[in-house]
Amino acid sequence: MKFDQPATLNPIDRGRVIGIAHDRIDGPAKVTGTAPYAYERHDVAPNAAYGWIVGSAIAKGSISAIDTRAAEAAPGVFAVVTHENAGPLGKGEMNTAHLLGGPRIEHFDQALALVVAGTLEQARDAARLVRIDYAREEGQFELAAEKDKAVKPPVSWGTQPDSAAGDFDAGFASAAVKIDRTYTTPDHSHAMMEPHASTAAWLGGRLTLWTSNQMIAWAVKELALTLKMKPEDIHVMSPYIGGGFGSKLFLRADAVLAALGARAAGRPVKVAIARPQIPNNTTHRPATIQRIRIGADKNGVIDAIGHEVWSGDLPGGGIESAAMQTRLLYGGKNRMTAHRLAVLDLPEGNAMRAPGEAVGLLALEVAMDELAEKCGVDPVELRIRNDVQYDPEVGPKRPFSSRKLIECLRQGADRFGWSKRNPKPGQVRDGHWLVGMGVAAAFRNNIASKSGARVSVDGKGQVTVETDMTDIGTGSYTIIAQTAAEMLGVAMEAVTVRLGDSKYPVSAGSGGQWGGNSSTAGVYAACMVLRGILAQKAGFNAEDAEFEDGMIKAAGKAIPLKQAAGRDGASAEDKIEFGDLSKRYAQATFGAHFCEVGVDMHTGETRVRRMGGAFAAGRILNPKAARSQVIGAMAMGVGAALMEELTVDTRFGYFVNHDMAEYQVPVHADIPEQDVLFVDELDDKSSPMKAKGVGELGICGAGAAVANAIYNACGVRIRDYPLTLDKVIRSLPAA
Amino acid sequence: MSVRFLLDGEIVEITDVDPTSTILNYLRYRLRRTGTKEGCAEGDCGACTVLLGELDEGAETMRWRSVNACILFLPMLDGKALLTVESLAVDGKLNPLQACMAENGSSQCGFCTPGFVMSLYGRTIGASGHDLPVADVVAGNLCRCTGYGPILAAGDGIGKLSRDDQPTMVALREMAETACAGGVFEDRRWFAPRTPEALAGLLAAHPDARIIAGATDVGLWVTKGLKTIETMVFIGNVAGMKAIVEDEAGVTLGAGVPYADAHAAFSRLHPDLGELVRRIGGLQVRNAGTIGGNIANGSPIGDGPPALIALGAELTLCSTAGRRTMPLENFFLDYGRQDRQPGEYVESLWIPRPAPQDIIHISKLSRRFDSDISAVCGAFALTVENGLIVRARIAFGGMAATPCRASGCEAALVGKPFAAETIASGTIALAGDFSPITDVRGTATYRAEVAANLLWRLWYRAQGEDISVLALESSHG
Ligand SMILES: Cc1cc2nc3c(=O)[nH]c(=O)nc-3n(C[C@H](O)[C@H](O)[C@H](O)COP(=O)(O)OP(=O)(O)OC[C@H]3O[C@@H](n4cnc5c(N)ncnc54)[C@H](O)[C@@H]3O)c2cc1C
Ligand code: FES
Ligand code: FES
Repeated sequence: MKFDQPATLNPIDRGRVIGIAHDRIDGPAKVTGTAPYAYERHDVAPNAAYGWIVGSAIAKGSISAIDTRAAEAAPGVFAVVTHENAGPLGKGEMNTAHLLGGPRIEHFDQALALVVAGTLEQARDAARLVRIDYAREEGQFELAAEKDKAVKPPVSWGTQPDSAAGDFDAGFASAAVKIDRTYTTPDHSHAMMEPHASTAAWLGGRLTLWTSNQMIAWAVKELALTLKMKPEDIHVMSPYIGGGFGSKLFLRADAVLAALGARAAGRPVKVAIARPQIPNNTTHRPATIQRIRIGADKNGVIDAIGHEVWSGDLPGGGIESAAMQTRLLYGGKNRMTAHRLAVLDLPEGNAMRAPGEAVGLLALEVAMDELAEKCGVDPVELRIRNDVQYDPEVGPKRPFSSRKLIECLRQGADRFGWSKRNPKPGQVRDGHWLVGMGVAAAFRNNIASKSGARVSVDGKGQVTVETDMTDIGTGSYTIIAQTAAEMLGVAMEAVTVRLGDSKYPVSAGSGGQWGGNSSTAGVYAACMVLRGILAQKAGFNAEDAEFEDGMIKAAGKAIPLKQAAGRDGASAEDKIEFGDLSKRYAQATFGAHFCEVGVDMHTGETRVRRMGGAFAAGRILNPKAARSQVIGAMAMGVGAALMEELTVDTRFGYFVNHDMAEYQVPVHADIPEQDVLFVDELDDKSSPMKAKGVGELGICGAGAAVANAIYNACGVRIRDYPLTLDKVIRSLPAA
Repeated sequence: MSVRFLLDGEIVEITDVDPTSTILNYLRYRLRRTGTKEGCAEGDCGACTVLLGELDEGAETMRWRSVNACILFLPMLDGKALLTVESLAVDGKLNPLQACMAENGSSQCGFCTPGFVMSLYGRTIGASGHDLPVADVVAGNLCRCTGYGPILAAGDGIGKLSRDDQPTMVALREMAETACAGGVFEDRRWFAPRTPEALAGLLAAHPDARIIAGATDVGLWVTKGLKTIETMVFIGNVAGMKAIVEDEAGVTLGAGVPYADAHAAFSRLHPDLGELVRRIGGLQVRNAGTIGGNIANGSPIGDGPPALIALGAELTLCSTAGRRTMPLENFFLDYGRQDRQPGEYVESLWIPRPAPQDIIHISKLSRRFDSDISAVCGAFALTVENGLIVRARIAFGGMAATPCRASGCEAALVGKPFAAETIASGTIALAGDFSPITDVRGTATYRAEVAANLLWRLWYRAQGEDISVLALESSHG
């Protein structure tokens, strides 16, 4: 099905199952611990051996010698894989560094060997016996030091690094009120709870891989490139994923090494990347330096807005596109954005939840707070004044498909009690806590991408949906079941959803908050075809047929679905393909975050006391699942504001705090009551579902609301994230 | 020699015991019970939470405690009962807590879920720590998906669940008869003595042996540090090491008392001490980690020592040569060096009960509110008589290579009136007591500045001001 005209009334609009807060259908499997994750497939690979990864102890250079004899002779060891015996390997297009390094070493903890043994303990013990001699080379590890050497990167993922409209320099120079500030954000780690893990088994020349990956089709393609195989010979399954947040978008070392290890050992092998290896072996969200200049009139109406971003990556890597939202969020006729990329020899930077916006808004939305203060305008009002209903770089000929930022700001402010905020910082006290409130806009691009599904009805009326879509905790199983149930007029219990298998039709996969809307639209497409088939079988005109209560109804007649399907059942496969609606219309999701913090005047400890948010993201397919996505993302935003930071050892080029004790993510005590409101919205230009993404919107702006609240509480403006107690206290007025 | 434990009513026997293999690996890879997850293998995330059941002293009652299976070694399972997430649902029917979690949307990716289930289940059946609020019971469980609210709501929505432990106790008593005394595995020896005499004898014979109490430190040496430990003495079953004796004069604790068990007695000594314990690790860490281990590890950032030093605690060490008792601060000689002779073990700790009029203030400062190591931990105990400070004991963690007293500051306070000027001069003296370092937890400047502010905090509180360190009520939705 081609989606190139705005959606009209369709079966989804009935809203009998879609839009209802249905419990997750995978909930029982998860609370009982029976949902099988990739490392646990004893059922399919009962004799799997265990692989342990040996990572590079240097950041840049090469292996001068590698001696695996002692490891090979250790008890229980079946094989040791290194670049010397792995055979010729390619590299996936989406990987920057090689997943098995050597002789060149591209980053610290890059996998250089895999030890395969009968037990995990044996593999781990033997891994210490692999002797590697290095030829270490100097590397560049500090973004600030390399900033001036950063260059304009090529177009990547369709994104132009630079953009301009009007004359920014002139507009900024002549503005009545100016903000010119630089903000920094550190490297972030996804810190999903399930480490990357894979189990691999060979049968002849064919590879079966149970893994934890957000994008099945990419995984197959990249594996084929890496192992120099035909994609047809690779079967990838990833039905349960213990969190991803972008860390599992791409093929990683666990998958490649499990495959190589299994080939070498002649038996299935499983490999997990140990927690302390994850930050340096896998990807992270790159650090940024961001300069924001805003020129406005005395009332805070923006005339010129500029956002420049510097980030670094390995040679051939990409940018952190942190200025993207600035192209669309606020009006102003003179505009510029620019991304510059430095070469750093740190581990590979790549996408993490809401790449671009998550850190871009940490800067932009604080700059807006600074502007509000300078103009003496309420920060909520300032954002409303600068709202724009079209793409401000293009003009009114490219309107937003739907944009309810103002509604989010107004309704959110009401619910939060924003009117009680004292605009003057440092005025409100609760005991020895300084209390303040902050606001920030939420913005995340809406991406829709091609997605297929196969839907069948059997002779008992049971519906099965198959698609290679993944559920990374997002609720895909449930919303896909809801979609099929709505489209075919059956109960949720009558639908079985099978996901994450490369044998199923290729879907959008999970990433960039495109998964929910796109994959359900793919199921919609397949269901439309199936409806036609079933109606025809029932002798009805497809256009007239109604599907409800397990029946097909038309012309006063009703036939049970199972009867129409017949003994052999009926099945249809289709995909949704998106036309140029996203070119004709700017498409994005919006929201407003509100936050109240307390800052301890003696210690600089910050405690988030309340958070509230209002969000507009098209049709909310399942309010319960959507809410949980949003509050989880808001919690991650608190992490980015207050504690998350991979600390770079600038001498040796690695992340020092590479575990969960030292790379801190919020514990529940850091997260207060979170109030979430979804503003009513249907976006007929986004898909037949009239939905948009929602999985990433919650992180976008959340941290900035915390930062702005800290400023309002104590008058301390910190522009270098995270806002830790030592930075806060440095600027606190004496108690 | 084999290790035996009870799992779902059946005794499981492990014959070839690798003493540093973890309970988590045994469950997941030997028994292939994979419901229990590995998120970190170092005690930080709680995904591996299981309940360990043991008889109380006297064998009349038993208790369950939530622990992190990823850093517990197999010998620590001997004679115990184990509950994992698989133990809960009967014939595929969800336990009420599980049902409540599924309905509340407490699980997204599901990887943290079994750990939360076990922490919360423990609370419903009266396990150690069951008297804590839901929030405290799951403080050691991390979730990256849910924002926690739906999990806490499920915990709050479920009351007590009944559990018949009689059969378990019968089996535990039986197993107690045949406890495992130790073994050898690939040249590595391990012992599990049952009496103080046997412990002292073993340590005399193997002065290089590594004592293992709760393994919340030593576990990480293996799972993360990838160390091999040659000789191990597990002290969890030594009689009397878990005794707590409270009287007018103070509290005596065996070195093997887990923090969780000391919590109530500590709170009775002073509420600040109780609050400090609440913020040591998560409940799983406190259920395993011992007072003795927290002291014996000599860590400069251990949370127990500063407070205990300020309160005037005394440490008793024991060996075949006899006992030695010393003020706790004297135990810490230098970074990584303690006053412990070969063959000695930490036997007990005595903490005097503060007088009601003593002014005590204990603050732990960390980036994140729970499950974090202190940037600075400060403890103050002042005795004020007729407006004069007659005694001052002030100790800090995170300010030097060992937990230690701020002697300059103490001297600046003693003999002076309890007044703002004295506090001000105390903070100046304090600056001379330490030269802290900068690390990921805080800068040197921050540490110095905040140490002084903690003294001010004490002052303001003494003036009746509300110093709500953490008591901001937050209700999750
Ligand atoms: C996730 C996590 C969070 C933590 N959070 C905190 C925290 O907030 N605050 C804090 O202070 N600590 C914390 N710790 C550290 C640790 O839990 C404590 O130090 C604990 O008290 C150690 O006790 P244990 O019984 O587990 O020691 P073990 O690991 O068994 O032993 C530690 C050391 O002490 C020695 N030892 C133990 N008992 C004796 C004895 N009786 N005589 C002589 N030597 C002995 C051992 O040989 C070893 O060298 C944390 C640890 C983890 C894993
Ligand atoms: S696996 Fe993280 S605490 Fe055990
Ligand atoms: S549900 Fe994913 S980590 Fe908790």
